[in-house]
Amino acid sequence: MATKVIMPKQGLQMTEGTIISWLVKEGGKAVKDEPLFEMETDKLTITMDAPESGTLLKIVRGEGETVPITETIAIVGEPGEDISKLLDAAPHQEKAQQPVVQEMAAEVKTPPAERTAGGRVFISPRAKALAQEKSVDYAGIAGSGTDGMIVEKDVRACLKSGAKATPLAKKVAAINDVALEDVKGTGAHQKIVRADILGAMTARKKDARGETLVPFAGMRKVIAGRMVESLHTAAQTTHQISVDMTEAGQIREAYKKAGKKVSYNDIIAHVVCRALRDYPMMNAELAEEGIRIKDYVNLGIAVALDNGLIVPVINDADLMSVEEIGMVTKELAEKAKAGKLKPDEYKGGTFTISNLGMFGLDSFVAIINRPESGILAVGKITQTPVATDSNEVVIRPMMVLTLTYDHRVVDGAPAAQFLARVKQYLEQPYLLF
Amino acid sequence: MAIKTYAMAIKDVLAEEMRRDKNVFVMGEDIAEQGGIFGCTRGLLAEFGPERVRNTPISENAFVGTGVGAACAGLRPVVELMYMDFAYLAMDQLLNQAAKIRYMFGGKAKVPLVIRGQQGIGRGNAGQHSQSVESLFMHIPGMKVACPSTPADAAGLLRTAIRDDNPVMFFEHKALYATKGEVPDDTEFMVPFGKANIVKAGTDVTIVCSLLYVNRTMEAVGELESEGISCEVIDPRTLVPLDMDTIVASVKKTGRLVTVHEAHRTMGFGTEIAASVTEQAFSYLDAPPERLGAKMCTLPFNLGLENAVVPQKDEIKAAVKRTLYR
Repeated sequence: MATKVIMPKQGLQMTEGTIISWLVKEGGKAVKDEPLFEMETDKLTITMDAPESGTLLKIVRGEGETVPITETIAIVGEPGEDISKLLDAAPHQEKAQQPVVQEMAAEVKTPPAERTAGGRVFISPRAKALAQEKSVDYAGIAGSGTDGMIVEKDVRACLKSGAKATPLAKKVAAINDVALEDVKGTGAHQKIVRADILGAMTARKKDARGETLVPFAGMRKVIAGRMVESLHTAAQTTHQISVDMTEAGQIREAYKKAGKKVSYNDIIAHVVCRALRDYPMMNAELAEEGIRIKDYVNLGIAVALDNGLIVPVINDADLMSVEEIGMVTKELAEKAKAGKLKPDEYKGGTFTISNLGMFGLDSFVAIINRPESGILAVGKITQTPVATDSNEVVIRPMMVLTLTYDHRVVDGAPAAQFLARVKQYLEQPYLLF
Repeated sequence: MAIKTYAMAIKDVLAEEMRRDKNVFVMGEDIAEQGGIFGCTRGLLAEFGPERVRNTPISENAFVGTGVGAACAGLRPVVELMYMDFAYLAMDQLLNQAAKIRYMFGGKAKVPLVIRGQQGIGRGNAGQHSQSVESLFMHIPGMKVACPSTPADAAGLLRTAIRDDNPVMFFEHKALYATKGEVPDDTEFMVPFGKANIVKAGTDVTIVCSLLYVNRTMEAVGELESEGISCEVIDPRTLVPLDMDTIVASVKKTGRLVTVHEAHRTMGFGTEIAASVTEQAFSYLDAPPERLGAKMCTLPFNLGLENAVVPQKDEIKAAVKRTLYR
């Protein structure tokens, strides 16, 4: 005896399911508890087994159709059996097959039958292009234009009615805020399935991830040009040295007690000026006519800006007290950040200090700020275990200085001596007096 | 920027261009002492003298012809027609001579001539003084056609017209002369020919209109917007050259076109635009283009009847709704 295959209820909330594909063709063999069809519910895609063995006499609901639970979707039985009674049991199903047309028909001004008299469907060029783009079969759409012509809004309404998506796809789309009308269906009869929604979401993410174009102009371009020019021109070499900052810390404390604020930076700047006077070759410029050694120190202090960097210059820094250096540095840095530096406040430097210790760098290598011949890169001060001369291990505030110098102007030994002198002054500041 | 009337904007550009280039001069009926019947040349006589601000007899064919000759000889005449309707008297000089000379002499002669004057409804001037004739001049090659709808466009287009080496028909509108708007002070301010102005951006329908009908269309658009219909309003500003690119791009977006002008509907410039849009954007159209223009009826003397002949606000609204099937 023939048996109805019904849309099974898979879970408490399920009210309808969509048939994705029939795994057995009409007239083929269905075997009990073996796969018969694939379906999609509002939660999952599953393969359903045949309830009985026999011949698949009739597929009542085709691929892509969404069917309420318990309705007949197929009939299994012996070949030649009369199944008309089983089919009659669900006469309303045939009508429900085209929910779109039913829904739209209520709004139609002119009945579609009249419009399509002669077999021709009237549709505006714009509506036709849209229907083709979205793979909508417009023949079934009722038109609201002149004489029942299908116009853009009719196609859009059809897309919106969402009859062409599986329940799971609809749900996933709703959760992820994907507009169904923007998704192309790849399921049976162009029905939108879950994979299409996921595809649309991936595409959306890709769109959102794009690239940003920052104009290569202004300060960025100037910096780029100067850095490349420096690396191409100077024979840049680096030396590194560790400095015990205990004494420098003492100086700071002493100033603090006296109610004055002096930073490590100011102390380093002051010390570097003195060391430059001791080793003037580090305070030189290679010009066309020769090496120009300067007996004044115009000290550049690199300042990071939101969109680049600039090096304001403390003129005659070697003549200043550490307090003065501190005040001028602060003033210039503020001006730099506000973009108010005048040209003579960032030109004419003879040596530069760059400090990135505040970003936690132990040490780093800087590029020479041409036409200068040296730049000192200052790392952070770290409490470090150090072995003393008496072989004791003590904790000391250590800092690494990295000197980049132009080997065309200065050789390795004098550069090393200069760096050692900076270290010496920082560790034994009384030598300054 | 200064706030000026449409008439003042024209007068100022004439004066500025005459100061800039001694070859620029004006000529027309009652333009010297009287300053033109709408005041567009007022004060020019005092500054530039009778050689460059010339009154003419009532003889359009003669003085337009004089302008064509002067232009060929190297001057840059700006000839005022008291009513653009009177251009009919000078059609041979305009369309057989001015429009063709450059072509027929293989480019060896040029005709930097501007014919300017007012037209249109608004004063009950009746059939021979209220027409809109701009479309006539689109049909014959060799003539440029400008139609400013604002004081700024009047200034910018007139300066471009005077500096153009080809004849330009410059259509002003009598009902716009008193309208006010901001005009740049820059004496080099020019509005390029062939560049439409998107008066208002929108998404549902493209409305192309010019001259007085930019204002009238905007009144209808205000009401349409409150009904949820988003209109894109485009003023081509020059009909020759015509900026079809802007119009077609707009129709591709909206899918609907309505053209509105005061010129008669039959063979009005809206017809040309509708045809071009159909050619260039057929598959983007959701409805047949709608054309609005004056009915095929001589403009009446009675003001109420005059208004009944030209497109009404409600007609514009209805046409827009027809394209949207609403």
